Amino acid sequence: MTEVLLEAKAVSKRFGGVVALKNIDLVQHRGETLGMIGPNGSGKTTFVNLISGHTRLSSGSIAFDHVSLAGKNPSQVAKAGLTRTYQAVRVFGELTVRENVATALVDARVRLGAEAVDELADWLRISHRYEARAGGLTLMEQRQLELLMRLVQQPKLMMLDEPVGGLSSSEVRTMIGLLSELKSRCTVFVIEHTMKVIRELADKVVVLMAGEKLAEGSPTDILADQRVIDRYLGTADA
Amino acid sequence: MTQSFKTGGRIQGHSANLLLLAGFAIVAFVLPIALSGNRYLAFVAGVTMIHILWACGMNLLYGYTGLMPLMFAGIAGISAYTVVDLTANGWSFWLALPVGALAASITGTVLGLPSLRLKGFYFTLCSLVIQTVMTLGFIYFSGLTNGDTGFSQIPLPSLRGEPLSSLSYDLVLAAAAVLGVMVLIAIMRSTLGRRLIAIREDDELAAMLGINVTGYKMIAFFVGSLFAGVGGALYAPYIGFISPRSFDVLISMNIWLMVAFGGRGTIWGPVLGAALLAPLSFFLQEYYTIKDVLYGALIIAVIVLMPAGLLGSLGRTPRLPAAEIDAPVPRRSPK
Repeated sequence: MTEVLLEAKAVSKRFGGVVALKNIDLVQHRGETLGMIGPNGSGKTTFVNLISGHTRLSSGSIAFDHVSLAGKNPSQVAKAGLTRTYQAVRVFGELTVRENVATALVDARVRLGAEAVDELADWLRISHRYEARAGGLTLMEQRQLELLMRLVQQPKLMMLDEPVGGLSSSEVRTMIGLLSELKSRCTVFVIEHTMKVIRELADKVVVLMAGEKLAEGSPTDILADQRVIDRYLGTADA
Repeated sequence: MTQSFKTGGRIQGHSANLLLLAGFAIVAFVLPIALSGNRYLAFVAGVTMIHILWACGMNLLYGYTGLMPLMFAGIAGISAYTVVDLTANGWSFWLALPVGALAASITGTVLGLPSLRLKGFYFTLCSLVIQTVMTLGFIYFSGLTNGDTGFSQIPLPSLRGEPLSSLSYDLVLAAAAVLGVMVLIAIMRSTLGRRLIAIREDDELAAMLGINVTGYKMIAFFVGSLFAGVGGALYAPYIGFISPRSFDVLISMNIWLMVAFGGRGTIWGPVLGAALLAPLSFFLQEYYTIKDVLYGALIIAVIVLMPAGLLGSLGRTPRLPAAEIDAPVPRRSPK
């Protein structure tokens, strides 16, 4: 088996009296695409927030690339090589695409040359929009820019929070194509509440349900898992 | 059409900036000499230079980093009082100036700490309270500040035992203003400028891209307060009189207005704003009551009519129309 990249042990998060996550254990190996599914409110985004340093753990521990992430803020987590996207797309709307990318390069873990940036931008099909104001791009283009801004930092792990949310069905197909190629560039962790994306991308799936881990396994196992079908896939949410 | 990341971009804008800087430097240095026959007008020009320096500092914080510090004048006051106290104790002005400016920078950095927690309007409110407390402090610690009376007859600094002539000090002020603009241009060309703009636009996203938001906010406060401090130190001997009212919230608002009126987040907008508004207050001196009304009206006009300011409205490249939206609109058929 390959090397462990991300390891969460007994991760819990309480917001006041509400338990958002309860004793989540999770292991992701380098190069393995991990999908996390679950209905709205099951704690998927909270889990990513805990790892990226946006929220503090209530208990448990998280290690990334053999280093504990305890007490690290988002910029330190980013410097460690872990990056994420947001469920609602987030770019610097008033700046041009070029300025957005230049900003991503300023404190990148690894300095990337202009040619390598162009290669990534061409691959993401966004290089013709360098001079456009990011706020004026379509949602799809903003998502492409978001990926570009992460990739120029050469992350070890990219966590995607609902990467196809709000896209049209043809755009979803394009995005799935991009994401499956992305897997060769860095390790990917993807959150979705639909099975479609997960089935095509993930090597391993974790199902969250009301803050607890309901099941874990390969996409085919998960699709056949009776508990998952009863409690999630069989319902209207999926 | 594929473009390259490296080529294009901001080179053109930079040569324009250097050209404008050269023009500004010529005007700044020629003006005191041209006006040396009319002491009053030369004095107005000198005070304008100090305000240009202040506007650059305010612009760094408000225009580029997105923090509106209404205690800016108070920070300038820290430096002014420090310099006056030190020179009264026999220090050379030229030694007291960096000490005073540094005192202002450290004060500004500490007083900027609430900005790490409070965003936007909430920080502005907090800074308003800080400014009020500072004004009260200037009155209360009368041992250092001479209270409400303030200090008068502050002499112009001397060089090699000889007091500077008014003209030479005017040139010092011009040099300070030009240097201030130069420093701002240099900062905004550097990666520090990129980081500050990123923090202004979305500090959470900036952090996620590896930018140390806390650290760079503090650096912004340190540098911005340095502008305030140098201006405050130069201001005291030029006017010859300082009191708590010289550094109260109205002064902060004035400096803010210069930045907002001229165009926040542009190099030349605040310079223009200061160059227009600082002399205006002199020329309206006789209509003292009207002056405040006019300033108030101007604030409202700027916010309503030109939210981006004079140069912000003129200089902004027209926005490209958004491409056709291809995202699905969730539609539910009415039942």
